[in-house]
Amino acid sequence: MASSSSSGLTFKLHPLVIVNISDHCTRVKSQMNPPVTSAANTTSNNTNGAGDGVVTAVSAAIPPPRVYGCVIGVQRGRTVEIFNSFELLYDPIAHSLDRAFLEKKQELYKKVFPHFYILGWYSTGSDAEESDMHIHKGLMDINESPVYVLLNPSINPAQKDPPVNIYESELHVIDGIPQLIFVSSSYTIETVEAERISVDHVAHLKPSDGGSAATQLAAHLTGMHSAIKMLNNRVRVLHHYLVAMQKGEFACENSLLRQVSSLLRRLPAIESEKFQDDFLMEYNDTLLITYLAMFTNCSSTMNELVDKFNTAYDRHSRRGGRTAFM
Amino acid sequence: MNIVESVVTQIQGLSSSATDIAALHTYLKQADESLHTESARLLPFLDHLDPSIHSLGYLYILDACTSGPISEEQAKTLVLIFARFITSCVAEQIRLASDKFVSVCKRFKDQVMLLKAPMQGVAAMLSAVRKLQSSSAHLTTLHPEFLQLCLLSKSYKTGLSVLEDDIFEVDQPRDLFLYCYYGGMMCIGQKRFQKALELLHNVVTAPMSSINAIAVEAYKKYILVSLIHQGQFSTSLPKYASSAAQRNLKNFCQPYIELANSYSTGKIAELETYVQTSREKFESDNNLGLVKQVLSSMYKRNIQRLTQTYLTLSLQDIANTVQLNSPKEAEMHVLQMIQDGEIYATINQKDGMVRFLEDPEQYKTCEMIKHIDSSIQRMMELSKKLTTMDELMSCDPLYLAKAGRERQRFDFDDFDTVPQKFNI
Repeated sequence: MASSSSSGLTFKLHPLVIVNISDHCTRVKSQMNPPVTSAANTTSNNTNGAGDGVVTAVSAAIPPPRVYGCVIGVQRGRTVEIFNSFELLYDPIAHSLDRAFLEKKQELYKKVFPHFYILGWYSTGSDAEESDMHIHKGLMDINESPVYVLLNPSINPAQKDPPVNIYESELHVIDGIPQLIFVSSSYTIETVEAERISVDHVAHLKPSDGGSAATQLAAHLTGMHSAIKMLNNRVRVLHHYLVAMQKGEFACENSLLRQVSSLLRRLPAIESEKFQDDFLMEYNDTLLITYLAMFTNCSSTMNELVDKFNTAYDRHSRRGGRTAFM
Repeated sequence: MNIVESVVTQIQGLSSSATDIAALHTYLKQADESLHTESARLLPFLDHLDPSIHSLGYLYILDACTSGPISEEQAKTLVLIFARFITSCVAEQIRLASDKFVSVCKRFKDQVMLLKAPMQGVAAMLSAVRKLQSSSAHLTTLHPEFLQLCLLSKSYKTGLSVLEDDIFEVDQPRDLFLYCYYGGMMCIGQKRFQKALELLHNVVTAPMSSINAIAVEAYKKYILVSLIHQGQFSTSLPKYASSAAQRNLKNFCQPYIELANSYSTGKIAELETYVQTSREKFESDNNLGLVKQVLSSMYKRNIQRLTQTYLTLSLQDIANTVQLNSPKEAEMHVLQMIQDGEIYATINQKDGMVRFLEDPEQYKTCEMIKHIDSSIQRMMELSKKLTTMDELMSCDPLYLAKAGRERQRFDFDDFDTVPQKFNI
């Protein structure tokens, strides 16, 4: 059903749309009663399924519900830029989206964003289905060539690209009958500054009690640790490659070697005695603080241990032994 | 004879795998009595066995044949046999019969001392200690024997390598006392007064229901070392010392406490006169060398006190304040202290002035980083150990039985009664 689009349109997708769709999907999924666990969709990440086999069987039978909505944006020439989206109710009997609601929403949005038009619709799922074409045709009276944005809510950790696909409809002749089929198009993600900040914030979501300093420090250090780990991995790959090249397993690639040597010549960035002094002094200070923290940690553990020991083994127990609370 | 031969054949046969060794062990325990009766004739049978393979059997036979009194000529050959056995035996096998091994090693030590050649025993005892320990934090009964041999043979460095390990498990309390006492003496010999102070402190504050002689001797040395190292001594023991120690130790160490009192006055002449008068008492305790060091540390202490008052001082003034005889002596003392790292100063020889300086350590060298890093690692190990001990203690039924009593009657959030006793 999906082959490369030949319409020549370039699509630009804003991250707000992706966040909206995923939010809608998650909300509906968690509001369902009983709540659908993600056992049906997650690949190997489901470890709690081992205990409750019944629940996983039930939830495996119910796939997460599909959500529907409209996408709006601007079309300038050959560029289609999808800015925003809103939700719609799906009428399963009529196999169409709620028309009255759509028009009301369209009016509201027109007042705020006069330039935005309804460009198409979105849904969730792993692949486009036949019934989607029905909805697609239903929208054709608003926009003669609507787009269909499909988000795949299953989490695949190996995948690097976002699980969003944009489909257009094209008239193809199949078995002598001209039919509309979905063809997938490529797209780029376009960000405005405000969106970048909010996406960054969402990406670094902290746990619910994220106000305490300990978790903030842990999150900060984890971020740094993963960054350094990634750098270390890449340097190791380069090193491995160069060693193999030296042994003769690969042919000498001069352009790569030139790039590596230019990289090396850029390091170290600063090399002066004053820098060494200051750097070592600050390093020592940090180490001393860590040492102090370890001391405190150890002393508190020791204190607890001694208290317990005294409670258990002390012959001269306290009289009237109500301790103060805390 | 037949019994012995059958024992020997059993040993040779059953020394290969772990299950065999267990069977051999039970067999040997039963045959032990009969072996002891034949002790005089057992010696040649030892040649049939190889200590590195048949360690357990060799141990039993060796124990049996040396259980009687031993003359000096026999001692010479036996010492060699002992040493060979200890260095080549297998650790797992001898741990099955650890008390036999301990008594064999003790006999070895006695004979080495009988021959007045403690040096011969040091290497063997070191390997014995390492084999008997189940981990490097385990204190066995052999540790103090080993340290005693090191002290007698003046091989302090080998002893110090054993002292570096932190101890977490102790077999017998007496071992701990002796170990810390001998260890303290060894550190004094190497002039590592801080570690000596720690070890002696352990002896003095160890739990004891009644005073023992080791603690008394250790307390005497503790007073002297703390005077040398810290320049002061407080007669009150810390709260965690046992009540027996707190009440009684001072009564046995009266001359030393007087010494500490006269030291604190800061007058050298008084100290010297006191040392002269009580000389015999110090000599009888073998502490005269330490007392002399206390005397010389008095000068150091006074010079150090001067660094806190003056920035520069002439050598003549130093000699007068510290009651030395001449500026030359003062210069020698100051020079020695600068070399030992006890003060920071420069001597200007032209006009005989000494300038006292601050500690030049800037804490920005790589060595300092290594030092702090190793301390952090040690602290992390200790923290892990403490956490495991804490968890063990929380599961202890004695603790759980009493923990319920200590809680508030009502729970904080909901006013239900809190269980007063945890029944397991």
